[in-house]
Amino acid sequence: MATVKLTNVKKIYPGSVNATVHDFNLDIADKEFIVFVGPSGCGKSTTLRMVAGLEDISGGTVEIDGEVVNDLQPKDRHISMVFQNYALYPHLTVYENIAFPLRLQKNPKMSQDEIYERVTNAAQILGITQYLTRKPKALSGGQRQRVAIGRAMVKDCKVFLMDEPLSNLDAKLRNQMRAEIILLRKRINTTFIYVTHDQTEAMTLGDRIVCMKDGYIMQVGTPTELFDWPANLFVAQFIGAPMMNTIKTELTKEGNKYYVSPFGYKLEVTGDKGKLLNDRKVEPKEIYLGVRPEHVTLVKEGAKNGFPVTILVNEMMGSEYHLHVQTEDGTKLVVRIPTINLSEEERAKMVAGEVIHVAFEGKAMHFFDIETEYNLLTDNQYHAEDDPETPIKSNEAESELPAETSPVEEPKAEEKAEEAKPEEASKEEAPAEEKKEEKEEAKKE
Amino acid sequence: MADKKSMSMSKKRRIGNIVTYVVLILVSVIWILPFVFLVLQSFRTENTGIVNYVFPHQWGFDNYIFLFSAETNFLQWYFNTFIIALFVCVLQTAMQFMMSYTLSRFRFKLRKPLMNVMLVLGMFPGFLTMIVLYQVLKAVGLTGDNAVPGLILVSVASSGMGYYVSKGFLDTLPKSLDEAARVDGATRMEIFFKVILPLCKPILIYTVLTSFMGPWGDYIFASVIALGSETGLNVAAGLYTWLGQSMISNNFTHFCAGGVIVAIPVMVLFMFLQKYYVEGVTGGAVKG
Repeated sequence: MATVKLTNVKKIYPGSVNATVHDFNLDIADKEFIVFVGPSGCGKSTTLRMVAGLEDISGGTVEIDGEVVNDLQPKDRHISMVFQNYALYPHLTVYENIAFPLRLQKNPKMSQDEIYERVTNAAQILGITQYLTRKPKALSGGQRQRVAIGRAMVKDCKVFLMDEPLSNLDAKLRNQMRAEIILLRKRINTTFIYVTHDQTEAMTLGDRIVCMKDGYIMQVGTPTELFDWPANLFVAQFIGAPMMNTIKTELTKEGNKYYVSPFGYKLEVTGDKGKLLNDRKVEPKEIYLGVRPEHVTLVKEGAKNGFPVTILVNEMMGSEYHLHVQTEDGTKLVVRIPTINLSEEERAKMVAGEVIHVAFEGKAMHFFDIETEYNLLTDNQYHAEDDPETPIKSNEAESELPAETSPVEEPKAEEKAEEAKPEEASKEEAPAEEKKEEKEEAKKE
Repeated sequence: MADKKSMSMSKKRRIGNIVTYVVLILVSVIWILPFVFLVLQSFRTENTGIVNYVFPHQWGFDNYIFLFSAETNFLQWYFNTFIIALFVCVLQTAMQFMMSYTLSRFRFKLRKPLMNVMLVLGMFPGFLTMIVLYQVLKAVGLTGDNAVPGLILVSVASSGMGYYVSKGFLDTLPKSLDEAARVDGATRMEIFFKVILPLCKPILIYTVLTSFMGPWGDYIFASVIALGSETGLNVAAGLYTWLGQSMISNNFTHFCAGGVIVAIPVMVLFMFLQKYYVEGVTGGAVKG
């Protein structure tokens, strides 16, 4: 149990000019579960590995429990770590794998009885008691990951590090293990740092989430903060599935009321968002309007703020439809419609080519500056403002296709691909910095 | 029509198979014949010279008995060879493995040039250095009767050069195993002995076998380094002295019996380690 403090932490790989992690500052409280999330190559794994002592720190300091650990070996940092590829010792049985860190303990050396007690206790918690005599190759992916967690949890550690522990598992097992990690966290009750590229894992597990891009922190906050008040367009689009719809539009003001005019319709910004725009005296200008697919609702024709859209693709998810629709001016949106309240007649209309009416309220709107892509209603900006290389801009915005949410780009489609080829997917998701290192290595070879 | 076609297909396949097997059998016979001849001749007792038939007229163990008698230095040569092979086997395996592990796991300055230099040096046949090595060893008194430590030194000194195969195997072991062990509290030494080494059993066996067989069958270096000595020779160089023009008529069958005896330890070692040997050559792709 300990605090972790990262101050101006920087990582530049040998032979590389650009930093992989730029001035990373973060205070992690005792017993907090913090999640680093971001796309491949954003530096999340590198940061975790710097905390673990598996990567040298190019600049700044890492403190664990108030002690600067920059020059300490991993074994002296009182950490435990679960690796993406399990990293189980193939020549040892499950029992010996879990007992491995205990057997290495010196001063005082642990007795066989205590080792036995700890190992069997961990195995019981993780439900792997019956596999203790097996070798890792005789276990399934989920069982192997449990063993890896068991090996990490038997040790008395101050910080528990997890580097994409669920990435190699199939979707179903991943959901199951996610729930088990929540339970495990309650049991172990220590400081957790968890790395993932999966925003669902980040949202469900983290007390706070650190959203990263290209080595910069984009936002730090609770899952709710990141979801409801994304600091910029990148966070807005990264958190939430399907991805937030963004529409380039004009923010106008008439008296005290603000309006946006997407797809040729004039919609009033009602509720708190309108009030906030007023309070912050936001100047009318061109903006990116963000609306989450789940905040777009099905309405009757002629309803306030409603507008017609044509269904392009309907993805039936069971409890909801994911509709890929097109407005009259050609803008593409994604809409999530729960199926539970739909009548048979309404369901029958949810097919490609049909025209339906949808609407979104003012409270569902997010407003992003067209230049900086910052949220106009939040204060916290986590980038270095004076650094011209700060990659605050989202790729989608750069491509000038904010609302062109193609069905194949949907996270759901990615999930399906992962489900079909979990190993390949995990390879693709390997941190880009590792790939970079491998490339350099290959070049050297 | 279809039947005819399938008939001709199966006929063609059968002919192809017959040709293949005939060639394979012929090659096998050519390959195995010298061994059979050697074994048969080693049991010939009617005379000790070269004869123009394969199967002995009189069978017996006289040639073997002769090898272990006081009349020859065979036991001395055999003992020399065994000592050289044993020391080289142990030391070379250890040194080669440490070298491979270092080059596979650590990144340090001049690592790449070092590997290149060793690769280039390895391309020169070892016997090119023979004369210089002889002079050096002679200067320190490790030639002639003292050739055994000299030969050990020659083989062990170049151990690191053969790092390629085991480095290739080590490269296939995930580095996350080392990292996991480091986080678990292991020192570099503990990682090497408790994690890496047990996983390298197949390639270790391979290295042991090749390290043993090199000096066991060495002729060139042994005959040069032990030049002028009867007792400093190894078994290959020693047995070869029996094939000289003045010796061969009295010692050919003894030479054959000596050849059989020489093959025994290697055969035993092979049979014992065969399983791992095959795995060692092909099992590099197996990961944790």
